[in-house]
Amino acid sequence: MIWNSIKSNLANKLQNNVDNTSDKGLVIFNTVEDAIKAEKLIKSAGGDCKLVAPPAALRKGCDLALEISLIEQPAIERALEARVVYNGIFPIAGEAELLQVVKVTEYDEHIMVKSGNMKIVFAKSDGTIVNTSGGGCPDIPYLNIQLVGKKLSEAPRPRDIGYTLCSLMLDRAFEEALSLWEGRKSTCC
Amino acid sequence: MLLIAGIIPDNDFPLTMGEVRFSDDGNSLIVNGLSIPCSQGTAAMVSAALAVTEYLGIDAPHALLAGDTGSGTGSRRIYNYLIENVEKLAPKVLALHYCLPILGLIKQLNIALKKCRCKPILIGDAGSMYAVKAAGLAPDFDLFTPDASELAFLADPDAIHPAYIKRHLFEGEIVNAPEFITRAYEIKGAAKVLLVKGSVDYIAVEGKIIEKIDEPNIPELECIGGTGDTITGMVSAFSFAGLELTQAAIISAKANRTAGKLAHVTPASRVGEIVRNLPLVFQENLCCWSEIKHIN
Repeated sequence: MIWNSIKSNLANKLQNNVDNTSDKGLVIFNTVEDAIKAEKLIKSAGGDCKLVAPPAALRKGCDLALEISLIEQPAIERALEARVVYNGIFPIAGEAELLQVVKVTEYDEHIMVKSGNMKIVFAKSDGTIVNTSGGGCPDIPYLNIQLVGKKLSEAPRPRDIGYTLCSLMLDRAFEEALSLWEGRKSTCC
Repeated sequence: MLLIAGIIPDNDFPLTMGEVRFSDDGNSLIVNGLSIPCSQGTAAMVSAALAVTEYLGIDAPHALLAGDTGSGTGSRRIYNYLIENVEKLAPKVLALHYCLPILGLIKQLNIALKKCRCKPILIGDAGSMYAVKAAGLAPDFDLFTPDASELAFLADPDAIHPAYIKRHLFEGEIVNAPEFITRAYEIKGAAKVLLVKGSVDYIAVEGKIIEKIDEPNIPELECIGGTGDTITGMVSAFSFAGLELTQAAIISAKANRTAGKLAHVTPASRVGEIVRNLPLVFQENLCCWSEIKHIN
């Protein structure tokens, strides 16, 4: 609902060719107080953001939204989590929601789970993560080092230590891998 | 100069630029006295490029590196260094790799590149490729090396990152690669040459597929972090050696697969096993695949 309002409002902006290659997203709040508080939280966490007027369809009079770099969505969510109430984060252009499709490939001794551009591979025998691959954001090589060699049940979640959209996609794959592993454990042990 | 720019997953790693070499045991890279393990990402890419230049007996790659575990601090240092220095450095080949996609900085870098007296051969992969495409600069680049899901991103005119591609594009990413290649060129989301890495590797020029490579078929390679990086490293180095980009891409795709076969890789293998086998792959195949003779 909110997204539809935002999108229709922004359509005019895009038609006016303001910038159709934007990597920006909007964080939408219920109150100005929350928006200002969120700006401080993001900036104190080292992030970049800008207070802007929300799309016209959502304005109640004196409102603020935060313009952010969408690539850094996980880090921004982490900075705001449990500290300030917000309605959601929405891309200004393109798809409204993160890609949800997950694919599973089975090998003799391993299972690979793919979410978007990210893959995680674990051993069928004991749930150890043996590889991660794909992606291009700077937290991905770091997450590879942090995850590989650890059991799915003990490894840190990519969304908890990553910063970027690639880490969110890896987290989706991780979540599915963990679910598959726990399902296998419950049927075989 | 072949210059490869990207991040190292260690926040304490300083901004550094220099010629790379392998450590004495061959398991790490050395740049300006700093040791870097051959792991997924730019380290794997540089390692594969160095394997090529060592085999051919030509100048080793230079690497521009900075520590970054995701916050973007190191990425910004790399962009800014290039913006300030690329004209003076005048690389013959510039390969941009793992970095936070920052549209404003990639646009500034593109302006700086246009000031170079001799425009480098520009290669984009990973986060740098995301930034170039999202900024609308893809046609200014000579080569992109996406995997199948990244190709879907290049074919989606609105996507700013592969995480936000349209669902139907992702679902069709394997079978529809030729269609997506056409579409990526139509929307100006592709570089002049595309090397699409996957179960079938496609090489396309200005929208036309000129080569498909599917042998040897090693499905386990997709599992191994860094096996796409090694292809990009090799194609950068072969291009630096003077090969046409298309020929460099074909050889690199074949070499990666063959190295995987020689290494008997499993889904649990590490990318270093691929890199260690590259000299043998070159020795046994390079003459057949190209006019290149063993120089060493």
